[in-house]
Amino acid sequence: MRKNVIKLLARQLWQNAFRSKVMLIASILMLCLLLFSAYSGWVNYHDQNFTRDEIQDEVKESWENNPDKHPHRMAHYGSFALRLKHVLSVFDLGMENFVGNAVFLEAHKQNTVNFSEASMSTGLLRFGEVSLAMLLKVIVPLLIFYLGFATIAQERENGTLKLLIGQGITRKEIVFGKWLGLWCLSLIFLGAIFLVLLFFVLIESHDTMHADSIFRYVVLLLAYLLFFGVLSAITILVSAFSGTAKGALVKLLGIWLLFVIIVPKSLQAIGFYLYPTPSKIEMETAVEHDLAQLGDSHDPNDPHFKALKDSVLRVHNVEKVEDLPFNYGGFVMSQGEAMSTKVYLKHQEDLYEVYGKQNNLERYSAFVNPYTAIKNLSMAFSGTDFQSFLHFKDKAEAYRFKLAQDMNQLQMNLIPYKGKAGPDTISNEYWKEFPPFEYHFLSISDIFKNELMSLLALVLWGGLALFGLLRLSTNLKAI
Amino acid sequence: MYSLLFKSFFRTKIFLVSLALLLTVGVISIFIGKQYLVKQEKTIAAAQVYQEESIEKNVAYHREDLGLLLYYLRFTLIKRPQNINAISIGQSDVNPLLQAVTIRALEAQKYDTDFENPSLLMSGNLDLGFVIIYLFPLVLIAMTFNLYSEEKELGTWRILAAQTSAKAGFLFKKLLVRILFVFVVLVFLLFLASAILQIPMNTNFWAIFVQSVLYVLFWSALCLWMVSLLRNSSFNALALISIWVVLTILIPALVNNYVINAFQVPEALDAMVEQRDGYHEKWDLEKDATMTEFIKAYPQYKNYPVPEDEFSWIWYYGMQYMGDFAAKDTSAEMTEKIMLRNTVSEKIALFVPTMHAQLSLNSLAGTDVLSHLDFLKSLTEFHKNLREGFYTKIFDHKSADAVDWKNHEAKFYEQDYSFSWLKLLLPTLLITLIIAVLAGLNLRKL
Repeated sequence: MRKNVIKLLARQLWQNAFRSKVMLIASILMLCLLLFSAYSGWVNYHDQNFTRDEIQDEVKESWENNPDKHPHRMAHYGSFALRLKHVLSVFDLGMENFVGNAVFLEAHKQNTVNFSEASMSTGLLRFGEVSLAMLLKVIVPLLIFYLGFATIAQERENGTLKLLIGQGITRKEIVFGKWLGLWCLSLIFLGAIFLVLLFFVLIESHDTMHADSIFRYVVLLLAYLLFFGVLSAITILVSAFSGTAKGALVKLLGIWLLFVIIVPKSLQAIGFYLYPTPSKIEMETAVEHDLAQLGDSHDPNDPHFKALKDSVLRVHNVEKVEDLPFNYGGFVMSQGEAMSTKVYLKHQEDLYEVYGKQNNLERYSAFVNPYTAIKNLSMAFSGTDFQSFLHFKDKAEAYRFKLAQDMNQLQMNLIPYKGKAGPDTISNEYWKEFPPFEYHFLSISDIFKNELMSLLALVLWGGLALFGLLRLSTNLKAI
Repeated sequence: MYSLLFKSFFRTKIFLVSLALLLTVGVISIFIGKQYLVKQEKTIAAAQVYQEESIEKNVAYHREDLGLLLYYLRFTLIKRPQNINAISIGQSDVNPLLQAVTIRALEAQKYDTDFENPSLLMSGNLDLGFVIIYLFPLVLIAMTFNLYSEEKELGTWRILAAQTSAKAGFLFKKLLVRILFVFVVLVFLLFLASAILQIPMNTNFWAIFVQSVLYVLFWSALCLWMVSLLRNSSFNALALISIWVVLTILIPALVNNYVINAFQVPEALDAMVEQRDGYHEKWDLEKDATMTEFIKAYPQYKNYPVPEDEFSWIWYYGMQYMGDFAAKDTSAEMTEKIMLRNTVSEKIALFVPTMHAQLSLNSLAGTDVLSHLDFLKSLTEFHKNLREGFYTKIFDHKSADAVDWKNHEAKFYEQDYSFSWLKLLLPTLLITLIIAVLAGLNLRKL
């Protein structure tokens, strides 16, 4: 392979592309879409985070400003966790608008994360959303096909392919020259979008987040580079194996529709069909049922709570709960909280396992559909996938649990058991000591662990594309 | 003439591929609708059992204290499902089918969601509506993009032109054969859905039927127009797919982004906090801070004693009332914003048949955002009636026996399925006519 020949062929493809109307229309359209999605992505990110930050601060303030009171009242006063968006959500919206944004955290109860954008939207949401990543995942592949379908098929139809080979240019040089040309062409769009994104990442990242965001950005960039390389190779291969340019175009459009629109949606739907999930009311019934099996704190003769009481009395070597060195009411509540939380989380885990099964069908299809691989990678590294949401939810639940248990502990230590003399309230200094909710995004290493399969699939696709191009280099038909 | 055209069409590969694609995905979509209905039924059955059992259990625990009992008891309001929902699942997967609420402050319970897999929500339901809106146009495009150009490229057009005087008529008939095929599949799938999902053939079903036919007619006109430009196959394929992408993906998504950003709803989060503070801060205030407003709304309890230094249920439920009272305005603003989002979307949709089709299918199937807002409104009413029905008994310190619990089974909310034919049909009809006339004008030059 001679480098200058490949460069020459690539440059020729560029010149042809820029002479065609497709490129002109595509560029204008892409520019408009880029400006719109960058703007709307940024506004959405900025405004939403601004509101949520503000409310989170308000929540912290009102928590700390509560007067002296009984700690269990504070456990019911509770707190809120508001989900903050990652700066890269400007790039890929992912599930951002389909998951809830705020959850009320109180004792005894796991509330749902409410107020997703979807719950406040019209049916239009199902048409999808425009984001920078959507342009790269959905629109640019179509453009690559538009710009590349004719590359080899047309040259063969015109007879110029024969001429090229006759002039001593090897098949390998032709194949790789065309591929490089097409790939570089797609990088114009990639470059423009990532340049805009870099700007957002740089102005928004705070000291602690800086390295993290940049790292995510680089992984995204590399993944899309590889993805476009694969798409360009597919275009060249289809063009080379089609009799006519028209045939190549029709095949490529079919591939795009199938792999970007029809297959992912169908697989997700089939996953849903195969693995039904319980509704909330069914799960709540199951949780209550399990809890009743374990023990009932309302029933004075319940074996579980009776045994608990007896063992506590024995350990502390006293006769009555009134003689315990701590408030027994608080103790029972903290035991109850731990028990109900454990049961609830177990059921929730089962539910998420079913979700995992529902999603796996589509996720595994990354090995036959490179779009799926890039879709999942893109969401995960933008912090907008399901795992990122679960991470937030877990942190919120952990905070809720700590809040309830710390308040129970305060009650145990500082509030006298009922009937005994002493203050019924404690100083509000204790509220100020309890730290506010703070959220840190999923670590990069966790994202790599979650998306190992998608990464592997994409790399395999890279290998497959290279192999295909090499094979084509030996058996490209000139006529 | 027609029989020949049909025969030649049936021999094409694209005919078989289209038929297989539409039928497979169409049938899958109907079964997904079936599954959705089964899940609804299961949920409703579970809710009914749950309510009955929890009343029984809690009455046994707290028989003496009605105030405490009603702290725990939850009462369910269910949107009565109609099988027609399954044709266009719409927003009914994001918004819960039922809500089980206590008589405590409603704002904290009203917006609780059901469990749904967000990956599924994101990818959207593969319902019959999706097949009609997305796949039917694609099949039309695949079958008509080379209607003329194929003949031209194969050289058969010149022979034809020599043999017939009505060249445009020939193209039109060729198109008609293909459109007819698509309509047969469409009608078949709709009737199949009606049979499998047991959808009664009521006005709403026929409205969906007519809207679907009109929508496919719109795409037929668009394809005819593209053919009438007499360009080559590659150009047609490229242009038609681009139009499809613009109409089914880009424009709706752009409008959606615009609507979400232009009408943000921070009120949702504000109301959530206001409700909690509106209720909780009353614990630390004089009883009057609660009772003044509560008595204003319920003067009949003016003479009930509210001891200043001890707990009483009238004060407690008064505080809960104050929670909703504090969030009332913000909550109303939030509802208004969502209505505004819908109004703006619908207005823009009048000019874009894809969007109009989706929104009207959702609304005809009773799965749009407005029907959920109506449900929430009726939930508010339901909650109010419940509270008011219990207040006197609680405040009079009655026991649980004072209530006839048999009357408190899960209740159903009947949705309003009315619509306007004119608004449904006119926009797409006008656009289709304009495009068809343009195509006809082009073909006259042939």
